Amino acid sequence: MIKITEEDFSLDEMIKRARSKDAGAIVTFLGIVRDDGMERMEVEAFREAALVELEAIRDEAMSRFHLMAAEVVHRTGTLAVGESIVAIVCSAAHREEAFSGCRYIIEELKKRAPLWKKELGEKGERWVGRT
Amino acid sequence: MLVKVLAFAGFREILGKERELEIKEAATVKELLEELAQVSPRFKEAAFDDSGELRDYVLLMVNRKRIDPILDLSRPLQEGDELAIFPPLAGG
Repeated sequence: MIKITEEDFSLDEMIKRARSKDAGAIVTFLGIVRDDGMERMEVEAFREAALVELEAIRDEAMSRFHLMAAEVVHRTGTLAVGESIVAIVCSAAHREEAFSGCRYIIEELKKRAPLWKKELGEKGERWVGRT
Repeated sequence: MLVKVLAFAGFREILGKERELEIKEAATVKELLEELAQVSPRFKEAAFDDSGELRDYVLLMVNRKRIDPILDLSRPLQEGDELAIFPPLAGG
């Protein structure tokens, strides 16, 4: 499942969907809002384009690393420190493929998916990554 | 002809999320950006440097496909095309 949502998600449900009798390993990545001296974060997506890109990344990871399942959920909207931003779950026959697939998806997501984060706090606000 | 402009993150705060613009037939991506700069001085300052070149953190998509902000600026647009303008990606 590839999803961009304002609502929180259940990592357990994602893991449940990734389980299969042939999968000997499930690797998960959970990205959360870190306290960098801010109060909250706003996440924005070019939703239609981001979904297409995430699906392409998922498909690449599935075939490169022989994954049995791969799920990606990315939040949008206002998130507090400690809340989840993104979750990735990959299952494969063995742990090497599951680790590699999960890492590939998060690294490519950061490079290619049209998503942006804004940090907001007492000192003001700033878009992450803007020079 | 009518084209759609989508803006995200800092550029959305300046231009609004979505607008339709009437531009001349076969206008290029660069001409559309210059048209936006005329309408919005804030956009001009954010997107163009003092010599009128597009700043390197301005990223573009036409019809949801990334285009090269240098090589593809002279690309002519067509009726109904959708140009998306945004800063460097920062998801995850």
